[in-house]
Amino acid sequence: MVSAFEFAPAIALLPLAAFVVALVFGNGMPKKGAYAGILATAGSLLLSLWMFATVAGGEVYNEGLYDWAIGDEITFHFGVLIDPLSALMLVIVSLVALLVHIFSLGYMNAEGETGLRRYYAELGLFTFSMLAFVLADNLLMAFMFFELVGLCSYLLIGFWFRTRSAPSAAKKAFLVTRFGDYFFLIGVVGIGATFGTLTFAGDASFVAEAQSAIEAGETFHGLGAETWVTILGLLVLGGVIGKSAQFPLHTWLPDAMEGPTTVSALIHAATMVAAGVYLVARMFGFYAQSPTALAIIAFVGGFTALFAATMGVVKDDIKQVLAYSTISQYGYMMLGLGVGGYVAGVFHLMNHAFFKALLFLGAGAVIILMHHEQDMWKMGGLKDRAPVAYYTFLAGSLALAGIVPFSGFWSKDEILYDALILGLEEPIFLAAYAMGLVAVFFTGFYTFRMVFLTFHGNPRSEAARDPHPLGMNVKIPLIVLGVLAVVAGAANLAPVYKLAGLDITFLEHWLDGAYTDGMEGMTYHEYSEMTGYETGYIGSETITLLIGAALSLGLAFGGAGLAYILYNVPEPKAHTENLGSARTVLRSNYYQDEVQVWIAEGLTLPVARMADRFDQSVIDGVVNGVSSVSLFGSGGMKRLQTGVVTNYAALIVLGFIALVVGLGVYGGWFV
Amino acid sequence: MAVLEMPELTALAPPMILALTALVLFTYDSINPRSTNRPVIAGVATVGSLASLGVAVWFILSGVGTPLEEGGNGVFDLFEGQLIVDQMALFFMIIVGVVTALVSIASYDYLRDHTYQAEYYSLILLAATGMSTMASANSLVTIFIALELASLPSFALVAILKSNRGSVEAGLKYFLIGAMSSAIFVYGISLVYGATGHMQLDAIANNLDAAEEMNGLLGIGVLMLIGGFAYKTASVPFHFWAPEAYEGAPAPISAFLSSASKAAGFVIAFRVFTTAFPLDAMQTLGVDWSIAFIVLAIVTMTVGNFAAATQDNVKRMLAYSSVGHAGYALIGLAGLTVDGGELVLGAAMMHLLVYGFMNTGAFLFVALAEYWGVGRTFEDYNGLSKQAPVACVALAVFMFSLAGIPPFGGFWSKYFLFTGALEAASTNVWLLVVAAALVINSALSLYYYSRLVKAVWIEDAVLERESLSQPTGLYAAIVVAAVMTVLILPGFGPVADAAINAAGAIVA
Repeated sequence: MVSAFEFAPAIALLPLAAFVVALVFGNGMPKKGAYAGILATAGSLLLSLWMFATVAGGEVYNEGLYDWAIGDEITFHFGVLIDPLSALMLVIVSLVALLVHIFSLGYMNAEGETGLRRYYAELGLFTFSMLAFVLADNLLMAFMFFELVGLCSYLLIGFWFRTRSAPSAAKKAFLVTRFGDYFFLIGVVGIGATFGTLTFAGDASFVAEAQSAIEAGETFHGLGAETWVTILGLLVLGGVIGKSAQFPLHTWLPDAMEGPTTVSALIHAATMVAAGVYLVARMFGFYAQSPTALAIIAFVGGFTALFAATMGVVKDDIKQVLAYSTISQYGYMMLGLGVGGYVAGVFHLMNHAFFKALLFLGAGAVIILMHHEQDMWKMGGLKDRAPVAYYTFLAGSLALAGIVPFSGFWSKDEILYDALILGLEEPIFLAAYAMGLVAVFFTGFYTFRMVFLTFHGNPRSEAARDPHPLGMNVKIPLIVLGVLAVVAGAANLAPVYKLAGLDITFLEHWLDGAYTDGMEGMTYHEYSEMTGYETGYIGSETITLLIGAALSLGLAFGGAGLAYILYNVPEPKAHTENLGSARTVLRSNYYQDEVQVWIAEGLTLPVARMADRFDQSVIDGVVNGVSSVSLFGSGGMKRLQTGVVTNYAALIVLGFIALVVGLGVYGGWFV
Repeated sequence: MAVLEMPELTALAPPMILALTALVLFTYDSINPRSTNRPVIAGVATVGSLASLGVAVWFILSGVGTPLEEGGNGVFDLFEGQLIVDQMALFFMIIVGVVTALVSIASYDYLRDHTYQAEYYSLILLAATGMSTMASANSLVTIFIALELASLPSFALVAILKSNRGSVEAGLKYFLIGAMSSAIFVYGISLVYGATGHMQLDAIANNLDAAEEMNGLLGIGVLMLIGGFAYKTASVPFHFWAPEAYEGAPAPISAFLSSASKAAGFVIAFRVFTTAFPLDAMQTLGVDWSIAFIVLAIVTMTVGNFAAATQDNVKRMLAYSSVGHAGYALIGLAGLTVDGGELVLGAAMMHLLVYGFMNTGAFLFVALAEYWGVGRTFEDYNGLSKQAPVACVALAVFMFSLAGIPPFGGFWSKYFLFTGALEAASTNVWLLVVAAALVINSALSLYYYSRLVKAVWIEDAVLERESLSQPTGLYAAIVVAAVMTVLILPGFGPVADAAINAAGAIVA
């Protein structure tokens, strides 16, 4: 019997086929290639579910498929790795991609967009790249598809390339993430050169090589193995920070809202941004060996979570609010992974994929309702006119804000709990925990500010009074995701388990390989051992748990409540004015863009000018000098040829005599 | 193989076919003097040279010249060692055959208004016979005779444009320098004979002990032989004839002389110095000829390339580049060491083969330009790509290959020369200087080669030009040469093997 895993490459190849079909035949097809994309992603979803079921049945798959460069020291190949983590991610990605394709029928086709063939082709390519990235069994292949994901997001963010802002946003996204990927590439080369392998899993993986190098106390380039692993891990982290929009490379993401909202949903929930965090989870075994790298991940995550949440508070554009919430939420995931909460991080990645896709598609629905108006101050009162959009959006918002029992609560609480218990033992992590905790308050506030401004109160514009109706292709994805946003938390009810003793932490078991064999070195428990983190409690485990949950829930309610008081009124006012100068700072996003522009203009440009001057004067001077000397010499050589035969004869004889004398003296012929 | 059952003389088939073709053309001319039936005459010459080439290729593939112990059909020793047919002889017969065929095809168009058709081709074939015989000559006597057989028709060929002052002047200068060089060469032979008492190369090697008392005599004789080879290969300081002769001669003849004649000069040098004067024996005698070749190689490539750099006349530039390439090929002899050197010698052979295509092609492009009458300088070539894109692509291939740019054949042969020189540098440090000179000169050469490419492809024509005709023969020869320059890359494995085997056989 053929193994299910034989079909694994098809998961990625189906959307690639959709890409080709849409590109070649798109204009002649009904809905310009949308059906090809829907069919392909549906196929991918079914295959992914099959993989999931097979993995649940106790099998994993780690196979090289094609060696494309074979060297003495290292071989580069394409291969497939399907373990619990990638099987889970495959399902998430293909599900979200499918729903986005369906939603696009309502958002793009029904709205009379042009360039749909290009849109669906690029969507197919995007899905393909992400799925192939998830399937990758080695770091180089992952890097290649990571880059392809970046390219596709560039293409899709710049979909409306005739406007002024979209191409610029696309370029920014491309350049900023490229800056991070530069370090990633160096990291890939470094890992390959150090360990001679780039595979993620198995006995010959670079993770295992790194572990044995540290145990054997080897040194690389005069550095201890652990330091070297830290350096390599941080280099790879550069790519992660760029893609997952972590501070300080997050600036591209809010601008990326220039793309179609469906694309934003895909980018934020399942593809581009998720790729970064997924990569950390994928090579968690590597990071687990370097406490320094983990701490940096935790702090970058915690800081980003808080930092982005504060900026989300003052935004007026519904998509901008969501953009900052994405940055903030990925900060949580990084925090979770950084404090060793591998399960918590992945759990939040999954929940976030569902509720953020939901929120973006919901925002897309609102934009359809509002005839393409995105300013929340022009909305209001949509609650009664579009109940499906409202209730699903509300479900997503509750999940985002972390209100019990919606999915976001469970995962965020688990991250904060992991951070807290680690912080109690190693107090420095308490700072990261505190940042994450404070961000909960802001999250609750901006989320419900958005909900109230959009759906509650009185309509504040003509469009809000008479919204455009929504089709079924818009409602179905919303309902599917709405249900998931509510129930996905049930996958890992860790607090309930600890309080009531019910064994319902399915995700933890899943990632622990409880259902599979042959997963050596890649399970949650082994990761926990590798990190060597000690944990502490206030009183007992239960009390700590309750205190943590109460704190985060209280803050979330606090934020939501404040938003309720301020904005859940018939005619809400812009209270941000009261923030004074802080408002200016927040609205300018802490002048991050200005800083980056300054770095480019004030730092890079002068250095580049100096390099140019050096090149023009010294390098070119040497080159020009060499050429003038050569040309001068050439003139001399030319003059040897006088055109007079007697001169030639004389020169020949003289040359010959010189040779005879020289060699004769050397050889001693004349003695 | 059928070859084996034939008399030993058949091993000399390649030069004999060339001689026979020359005689056929003479006969045709005496029956039908002043015939201008170009298809027949050029056709006979082309068929004859292709037949010679084909037989040589067949021989080398079927193992003629490969020693019996290596599974071949054995080396053919003729007339008691006066002539020898081994791998190296066949390798150079192939080069001569290739160049002769290309030149014959190209001359079909070039000679359209020429009076002396049959004479021209028969002289080419006689010279080719001489060169082909040089490849197998194994005694100083046969070498000298073959060398003169190659030289005398060449003088006439250079001067064949009787009404053209440049051609006649070039022919005369070529003849005068040639006469002087031959005198030096033959004097060198007499000194070597005086020192060792032998003419046959193996016999000289066996009797070197006899020269112990007279090492100065032998040394001067050896240097005089080097002078003769330097003349034939256009190496400094015997190169003075080359720029003038190449510039004045009809362009196909320039191609013929700078490719085939040069290769023939090298084959006798290779054979004489590896067979008759083994380096270890000569070093004990105090006649370390490798030093002479190191000096000659460096000076020749430097003079050739530097003088080429600022030429305005394309043909003259190619002439000097040809001197520079002689310097590169001299590395083959300069890099020989006591414990071997078949790699570097093989590299020189490869270079000469590749050079046979790319340099012949380049000169044939000049022939094409002369055929069109567009002029002689770089400026006159400006913008030719608009009228003749195919030929200009071929020209770009030749130029980049001559400069040694990958992926063309010229890159690989230069690369092997370079690595070979570096390898030999472990025994003789001076070869590091040679390798450095090779790199510097190659870099410089890129300057003037790319100038020509820039002229035809990038610059705009100075004067408006009518559309240019496409002479079939010239085009065919140029395209074949270009294709071979490119194709020799994937086929480089066997070529390199053949060259290194041939080198190994004579070095050992």
